[in-house]
Amino acid sequence: MRSIVKAVGLNKYYDQFHALKDVSIEVEQGEVLCIIGPSGSGKSTLLRCVNQLEKIDKGGLWVDGELVGYRVVGNKLHELTDAQVARQRLSTGMVFQRFNLFPHMTALQNVIEGPIQVLKRSPKEANEEAIELLARVGLADKRHSYPVELSGGQQQRVAIARALAMRPKLMLFDEPTSALDPELVGEVLSVMRDLAHSGMTMIVVTHELGFAREVSNRMVFMDGGQIVEAGSPEDILISPQNPRTQSFISAVRT
Amino acid sequence: MNQNQAERLQAERKKTENEFDITQYEHVPRRYYGRIFFATLIVIALAGLARAFANGQIEWGYIGQFLTSEAILWGLVNTIVMSILAMILGVVIGVITAIMRMSANPILRYVAITYTWLFRGTPLILQLLLWFNLALIFPVIGVPGVFQLDTVSLMTPFVAALLGLSINQGAYTAEVVRAGLLSVDTGQYEAAKSIGMPRLQALRRVILPQAMRVIIPPVGNEFISMVKMTSLASVIQYSELLHNAQNIYYANARVMELLIVAGIWYLAVVTVLSFGQSRLELRFARGAGKRS
Repeated sequence: MRSIVKAVGLNKYYDQFHALKDVSIEVEQGEVLCIIGPSGSGKSTLLRCVNQLEKIDKGGLWVDGELVGYRVVGNKLHELTDAQVARQRLSTGMVFQRFNLFPHMTALQNVIEGPIQVLKRSPKEANEEAIELLARVGLADKRHSYPVELSGGQQQRVAIARALAMRPKLMLFDEPTSALDPELVGEVLSVMRDLAHSGMTMIVVTHELGFAREVSNRMVFMDGGQIVEAGSPEDILISPQNPRTQSFISAVRT
Repeated sequence: MNQNQAERLQAERKKTENEFDITQYEHVPRRYYGRIFFATLIVIALAGLARAFANGQIEWGYIGQFLTSEAILWGLVNTIVMSILAMILGVVIGVITAIMRMSANPILRYVAITYTWLFRGTPLILQLLLWFNLALIFPVIGVPGVFQLDTVSLMTPFVAALLGLSINQGAYTAEVVRAGLLSVDTGQYEAAKSIGMPRLQALRRVILPQAMRVIIPPVGNEFISMVKMTSLASVIQYSELLHNAQNIYYANARVMELLIVAGIWYLAVVTVLSFGQSRLELRFARGAGKRS
């Protein structure tokens, strides 16, 4: 198996706050990795480092075999230019907690924006594929709606379609259902479940333990900027070894 | 409880129920006597004002005659040309200054802050006079050894007015543009980056279209101010509407008539601009919800 993400000794500081402490992890192609943990544990930061929305202070991160954000010259790391970073981001798609759809564009325009403007694909081709993607997330009939006219669940599904339209090798989900009304969580999870079954490599930061158990191949529990425990969903959810994991799981379960 | 008592209780209950049944009653709106009084007062005052103008020593014929005279129309053209050019240049300077102001580089940031401070902090008329009289301190300007220009021949009233108005405008527009950029959620930058957009493309495709909603109303406001501010350029001999109107009344002494002529044209231009502004606002309100 080829690894899509490989992190070695990642460290990240926000001023004095040590957000990631020597985090090392590997994600293989086709794998679905769920990251759980209390807020402030660094799980979102780790995800955002993969997509270079955060800069790594120490350590190395490879996505699809390419060192992220830097160029090795001798024994020095030179920062990449804005354009190079943008190109590297093409291999990953990201879904945000608060959807972040472009409010001045319709659902369809949101989905075709990247393919046309960034990938320079023909509008006709991009349109056809976007309509297919919107159908796949169950929103073909909403393609001319603006985000403000859509429910949270619908917006998040458009956001997933927007990310998929870039044909990424890896999808990152940053608490994709945390901002949703409880009755809308299911429709988003169902789209993600289909995506996982289609063989997409996914890293999912989530509080939905049931979903995590069902779709993930591997789970990671983070606390205080460190990976405390990693293993199969059963290892983490049913027989956690570390006391911190145990107390978190039991707190979430009740 | 005997029968008598029960009947009395029932009758009482019925009476109470009737008391609460007011569904058939007519609603009578409240009369606002204070408002009616003041509205009447204002109508009387306006009627008095109209009467004063009708009986005043205004030669209405002159107004009609000069409204479309050649000198006035040229002044109008010069006013419109100067407003548009100064505004375009002002917005360009404003956008650059706003981006400098938000830069991580302290030199860029402080230069932007100082520029805003300097040109917002001094009267426009003083700035116009400074530009117009620049030759007094710099007889020639240029890059030594490359090119040199005679300041007096360069600083025509047109150039001095354009520089003065646009540089002053840029200082105000910078703050408006900055507010617009700050109004866009950081999640939008992140979403644009996440689909592989480089910074400039994200700014052009995602951030600016949303910032425009916030930027257009105040910039429209400033454009309207600009049309009227061009009249200050009359002090440096720029041949705009007010300057030409003044030249005519210096010759024929119909001061009030010509000022009214100029006023009518300023109002006309501003009316057209206000209409254009609301059209533009509608365009950038796409997807912005029901808020008008």
